Amino acid sequence: MLEENSHRRPWLLLSPALLFLAVLAAAALAVVRMSVDVPGHGWHGISLSGYTDLAIPYYLKSLWLTLRLALQSTVLAVLLAIPVALAMARAKSKLARRLLLTGVLLPLLVNLLLQSYGWLIILGPGGVLNHALLSLGIVQRPVQWLYRENGVLLGLIQTAFPLAALPMASALRAISGSYEEAAATMGASRWQILRHVLLPLAMPGMLSGALLVFAYNASAFAVPLLLGGRRVSMLAVLVRDQITPLLNWQAASAISIVLMLATLAVMALSQKLVHRSQHLLGKTS
Amino acid sequence: MRSTSLPFLRRALPGQLTCLTGALAALVLIVAAAPIIVMIIMSFGASDTLAFPPPAYGLQWYRSAWHIFMSPDASDVLSMGQALGTSLAVALATMFIAAAVAIPAAYALNRFRFPGKALVEQFIALPMVYPMVMLGISLLLVFNYLPFEIGIFRLIIAHVILALPFAVKNCAASIAGIGPEFEEAAYLMGARPLRAMFDVVLPLMRPGILAGMLFAFIVSFNEFTVTFFLYDVDTMTLPVWLYSRTVSSLDPTVFSFAVFIVLIDFCLIWLLEKLVGDDGVAL
Repeated sequence: MLEENSHRRPWLLLSPALLFLAVLAAAALAVVRMSVDVPGHGWHGISLSGYTDLAIPYYLKSLWLTLRLALQSTVLAVLLAIPVALAMARAKSKLARRLLLTGVLLPLLVNLLLQSYGWLIILGPGGVLNHALLSLGIVQRPVQWLYRENGVLLGLIQTAFPLAALPMASALRAISGSYEEAAATMGASRWQILRHVLLPLAMPGMLSGALLVFAYNASAFAVPLLLGGRRVSMLAVLVRDQITPLLNWQAASAISIVLMLATLAVMALSQKLVHRSQHLLGKTS
Repeated sequence: MRSTSLPFLRRALPGQLTCLTGALAALVLIVAAAPIIVMIIMSFGASDTLAFPPPAYGLQWYRSAWHIFMSPDASDVLSMGQALGTSLAVALATMFIAAAVAIPAAYALNRFRFPGKALVEQFIALPMVYPMVMLGISLLLVFNYLPFEIGIFRLIIAHVILALPFAVKNCAASIAGIGPEFEEAAYLMGARPLRAMFDVVLPLMRPGILAGMLFAFIVSFNEFTVTFFLYDVDTMTLPVWLYSRTVSSLDPTVFSFAVFIVLIDFCLIWLLEKLVGDDGVAL
């Protein structure tokens, strides 16, 4: 009954959502067009100078920095998310589940600006982190965290790890308990079960979480702006610099296109690598 | 890692939460909440420095925040009250528009099979991986070339796009749990499709719809990056207003405003979980 007259109906129902996404697509095209614009001629003429101007060490360094920080934060965020996701999938009591979910959602949803203010206090020269490190004797002198890559990396991991934890938790929850029981009956230790049974089965969830974290952090803006200042100039911050003080729309567009393409390339590559490795695993085992 | 194999510890059954995992998870979550916790403690401090922990406690920052809220000084471009009003208006509009857009979309994706469906699903998830700065600059380009001013709708359109994946996924999750037999029963009893939708499907979908709406509200209320590109003096949201106050120096009054925002967020998230229940949040 639902299937009749159903050629146009789904599209009719989808049309409001597609309208908003069409704005997104049109806006993306506008950026592509602007990035090959001749400066000062407003939509007339085409030049690639926006891109060729980017081939200087300043921008190349920033691109490398952006991809490196995004990659590092992704790996660390996924590792940190494993125990959290396991606990979310396993916790039986209702209160524990709610507390876990609140704990995961807070860093993701609370305004990044406000969280960065918190980091400013923690990471400052006389801040909590340095106090702790000094009193534990790990370092002799206060470490400079603010306006350094390390501080930005900490902020990126903290604000993005929920994106890794949530898909991983739902992937783990979907794994039937009988696999674990089978492994345990055959004498596998808890660590072996996690390493050889749970994590491989949860791989698709982990991968989609990792890709979300990577995309989110590659284009991170608020965290490097506040914790990195002028010293850790990730690409997103450079885009803003080109617009506000410089009004160089062409360069800003070109940088954001490069950022988008680099992000997509890394995502596609990692997806391919994971698929291939799973394929190989499937063949050998 | 192997402490569970020690004989004097009761070995947890497979599938149960071990102490080690629980402790690690708690540790990670506490560290992740550290910036928020530190900020809350700072807001009760009573010294002018940013040293932590504050040497003395008091409510002076709350008093000065209240003073700023009640009698804005002329040096501010915009009062906090106006910024809060803009934030709430944008968030409410985003919430309702996102729901109105997401419900039919989720229904279509769940109940129909049609060519191009996988593509549409990918397209709807796109805003989650679309670089925020690129969204900001591209919408700014488009809005600047519009022949007319759309004012606050600049922000609303951007926020709806950002909230769309969350709203659609939460609605879709709740439709997936309702079998088509409910609608079929309604049809058999003579209901028209629209009536079946409004009287049968929508009430059953309520938790998912409300969760999607709350998500949209929270995303919009806390959005900084895209708004930072798109705002102008008349449409400043609360986060942008806070940033404009602290761009030269960090004044602890900000922490008491921040605590106020975090409190709102916390209530909304708690409410969200109440609605989403045990299924977890769809992401």
